Amino acid sequence: MVKTVQYNIVCENKPGVLYRVTNILLKRKINIEVLTAFPVYEKKISTINFIIEIEERKINNIAKQIKKIIEVIEVNFVVIS
Amino acid sequence: MKITGAKAVIQSLLNEKVEVIFGYPGGANMPIYDALYDVRDKIRHILVRHEQGAAHAAEGYARVSGKVGVCFATSGPGATNLVTGIADAMMDSVPLVCITGQVAASLVGTDAFQETDVIGITTPITKWNYQITSAQEIAEVFAKAFYIAKTGRPGPVVIDIAKNAQFEEVDFSYPKNFSLEKYKNLDKFTVDDLKKAAKLINSSNKPLLIVGHGVIISQAQDEVLALAKKAHLPIAATLHGLSAISVSFPLYVGMTGMHGDYAVNKLTNQADLIIGCGMRFDDRVTGVLSKYAPKAKIIHIDIDEAEIDKNVKTTVSLVGDAKKVLSSLLPYVKKNSHQEWFKLFFQLKKEEKRYHQKREEKFKNKITMDKVFSVLSKITDGKAVIVADVGQNQMFAAKYFNYQTFNSYISSGGLGTMGYALPAAIGVKIAKPKELVIASCGDGGLQMTIQELGTIMQEKLPVKILLLNNYYLGMVRQWQDLFFEKRYSFTYMENPNFLKIAEGYGIKGKRVVELSKLEEALKEFVNEKEAFLLEVVVEKEHNVFPMVPQGAAVDEVRLE
Repeated sequence: MVKTVQYNIVCENKPGVLYRVTNILLKRKINIEVLTAFPVYEKKISTINFIIEIEERKINNIAKQIKKIIEVIEVNFVVIS
Repeated sequence: MKITGAKAVIQSLLNEKVEVIFGYPGGANMPIYDALYDVRDKIRHILVRHEQGAAHAAEGYARVSGKVGVCFATSGPGATNLVTGIADAMMDSVPLVCITGQVAASLVGTDAFQETDVIGITTPITKWNYQITSAQEIAEVFAKAFYIAKTGRPGPVVIDIAKNAQFEEVDFSYPKNFSLEKYKNLDKFTVDDLKKAAKLINSSNKPLLIVGHGVIISQAQDEVLALAKKAHLPIAATLHGLSAISVSFPLYVGMTGMHGDYAVNKLTNQADLIIGCGMRFDDRVTGVLSKYAPKAKIIHIDIDEAEIDKNVKTTVSLVGDAKKVLSSLLPYVKKNSHQEWFKLFFQLKKEEKRYHQKREEKFKNKITMDKVFSVLSKITDGKAVIVADVGQNQMFAAKYFNYQTFNSYISSGGLGTMGYALPAAIGVKIAKPKELVIASCGDGGLQMTIQELGTIMQEKLPVKILLLNNYYLGMVRQWQDLFFEKRYSFTYMENPNFLKIAEGYGIKGKRVVELSKLEEALKEFVNEKEAFLLEVVVEKEHNVFPMVPQGAAVDEVRLE
């Protein structure tokens, strides 16, 4: 079943992190519906939030793949609908 | 004291105790090569003939030495030529640090000569990558790169160094004991998890333990044996788990997967418990996923949390280093016996043998690849490192050589890279100079990286090259035979005189076409002190069985 899910990522504010995140989505042909990214804590940390439509069984797997990115500190997700 | 960035690169490699580099110089990494010249007595540099060869050789070296494989390439085409090897290392969890030159930072983004977006290209196929644009960054980035490549689930890292950073001067100080918070707690399993897993093992009547590459990487073979003996578990291996356990070990029942053993595939779907250890339930192992192990509960042991529940839904997961997980699990597991269950494996093994004999009859007095590996196995007592290419030769090498030594089957499993064997065997031979290293190649695969014969010549490496020539892209032809009504669309190959090519590189060779001469030729091949190419002309239309057809369940495995 396809769900709408929001992922919230906390990561180091460095070039290429967003590219790695979107690569994980692109590899699975997932389209991004909404995306925001902005720095916090004197620009040392970034938060990336995005909303995608995704098959239910893949929701957690995407989170775990994102968590593997070296610069990523934390990943959470909320199933919107 | 200030040193140049190029010298800082070399100093970083010395700090990481790098002994061998596989590489190719060019415009954008010349300062690094100049600095390397000063330490050529400390670091051995192997000049390959194509950068893909450097990456595969570094993979071969890393897989048998347990160290990080290092390669150098210049910018642009040098870097893009590495890509297949990097992707291969990513799929097969091989620790590499690939150092590519880049145009000066001021030119990056201007489409300068030999500029390419190496970071962009390698992002999906690396654990981590980084572009250095200032010499200040070198020490820390190198420490981080080596740490990431070898920690947790190993994998490739790319460092792209702009040329200006190689010339700049810097105060060099290398970080000691670099670590990342992220990798501090790799063993995430709890006592509760262990108890749950043990309960499943203790109550199982039809268990199957599948060992993968992770068992070899974490050197958990003794722990696997201890667990299997205590709980009386049949041990199967994935293609990459092959040679983790001696194939003669009484509890070893064979290989899983598309061309795995008949008994293992059939009984996977009878098992009530599957313990996957250091493996990832990939599609070649599971067949069609919806029909995989329908009666089994699943215990999945892996260091990479993202592998858990990726393909197969687990009952209990134990995330951590295989060696630690297994040794922690052992005290909770009770002594057990599964004689009746084992009997089924032996019965089905007999059935597979019967079909094999039937095929033997059909190809009587002809050379087939299975015979080549059976004879080779007999001559060497199963004690050689077989570096297998991809295709039919890879599967026959996996099935008919009786691996007796730990980690002695090296192949490209995940990416399935034709042309892997010859350069990978170079890396293996450099790491294990005293062992008999045999590159097993088909006529298609050998011609994809045949230029590395030049590397073998220059380095005087006694690599043995076993060429199994059937004048076909054998595995594709097999599929055309079985699934495309024998429409052999562009799989026939007109081949060159391989012995003359070898001769051109100063490598001795021999050609065998008759079965009666095979054993003698293989003996000469094995005993020869220098590099040697043995071309065995094998049956053209001979297929690998058993086979789980694509889209079929593992117990729909075919014997003919």
